[in-house]
Amino acid sequence: MKVSVGDVVLPGDFSEEIAAVGEKGKVILGPGLRKEVDGIYITKAGTLKKRAPNTFWVDNYQKRYIPARGENVIGIVVQKAGDIFRVDVGGSCTASLSYLSFEGATKKNRPKVVNGDVVYAKMLVASKDMEPEIVCVDSHGKKGRLGVLEDGFVFKCSLNLIRKILNPECPLLNSLKNEWPFELAAGMNGRIWIKANTMRETIALGNAILGSEYLSNDEIKSMCTNIASILAGHIS
Amino acid sequence: MGSDNTDLKDFKLRPMKCECNYLSKSDGSAILSQGQTVALVSVNGPLDIKMTNQSIEKATLEVLFSSKGGKPAIGDRYKEHVIRQTCETAILGSLYPRTGITVTIQEMEDYGGFLACCINCTCLALLNAGLSMRHTFAAVACAIDELGDIQLDPAPAQLAAARATMTFVFDSRNKTLVCGFTEGSFSEDAHSEALERCRSASQLVFDFYKDIVSKYSYVIG
Repeated sequence: MKVSVGDVVLPGDFSEEIAAVGEKGKVILGPGLRKEVDGIYITKAGTLKKRAPNTFWVDNYQKRYIPARGENVIGIVVQKAGDIFRVDVGGSCTASLSYLSFEGATKKNRPKVVNGDVVYAKMLVASKDMEPEIVCVDSHGKKGRLGVLEDGFVFKCSLNLIRKILNPECPLLNSLKNEWPFELAAGMNGRIWIKANTMRETIALGNAILGSEYLSNDEIKSMCTNIASILAGHIS
Repeated sequence: MGSDNTDLKDFKLRPMKCECNYLSKSDGSAILSQGQTVALVSVNGPLDIKMTNQSIEKATLEVLFSSKGGKPAIGDRYKEHVIRQTCETAILGSLYPRTGITVTIQEMEDYGGFLACCINCTCLALLNAGLSMRHTFAAVACAIDELGDIQLDPAPAQLAAARATMTFVFDSRNKTLVCGFTEGSFSEDAHSEALERCRSASQLVFDFYKDIVSKYSYVIG
């Protein structure tokens, strides 16, 4: 079936619109699109989206993470193997994290990372044929916000929810941060790490995030005020 | 994420109802009822699997079928095989080399056309899991009675009186036949007529898929 931008698409549909743009200039095909000999075909079910000038992708529902280069992820260290740590990022195989890819790490000064630690890292190499590699430093050798996450609480959610809460237009985090202080790290692999002052606040934060998955922006705002008032009512 | 579908055209299938993401822990799941027939499918993957089962060029697909009684029978293994081959044509396995994809089907209620229901439910679960696919697929069952009349999506009473039952699976691109599963005796003409009628009726199933996907696409956006 022929589809255009903004439509709900299913695998096997094709887009002549993208193919026409492709004849004139370069087109970037994102997830859910695939070039075949006779045109551009959809491979995932969702909404076909476009960002000017010529980037196209399909916004689909997904829970399983497929590693992609440059994304920030939350992983759990599962094994120490000589020079590298094996980190579970939720993909089909574990990612490798060199002990030298931490800020200020040298051969003599090894970072203190043990099995079970939660790390916030960036995907450096991600290809379907290779083991993914993650790093905890940026290209200047600085750690920025990356590194081992101390304490806190990690939970899983769908990949859509991560994209939703990280979207600048989503009011969730802006509403919540005014209510009580907390720290949050969202990995594109569907894991969220949160840390608040009390257990009660942590639970409230977690529930607020998970509850916002199917809500509209206005509903999210009212939910946040609601949760905050319940929280305040019990503490005082 | 629920929807129902009734149509008023010539090709009548029993009403379909579906809920996607029925199971919380699996990567993709769907429960589908076609009339009183109900199947539940869970999809997990791409996962890490044993070295011996890995294929360096494509994903290894595994289909597990559990009947209501829980004991696997030979007929069930045959169904697994049919469904696995149908899925293999649809899934772009080359995008996930050295991984495994597990499809688990649970029989809930069988009131005729169960294989078709399983296949349609599997397709919905695969869509929900977000696996890359070449095309979607839709299965339509039909029964041929003693007089040679073709009944689409037969109910148990019609199945009991049927001389032959057939299940056809079509892809969404050109509606070409992906898989055919027949039981009983029938003439060549009856087969080709049944094939054409099922092919036309498969559009209803594809419309239903689109309906389901559009219902949840607007919510997650």
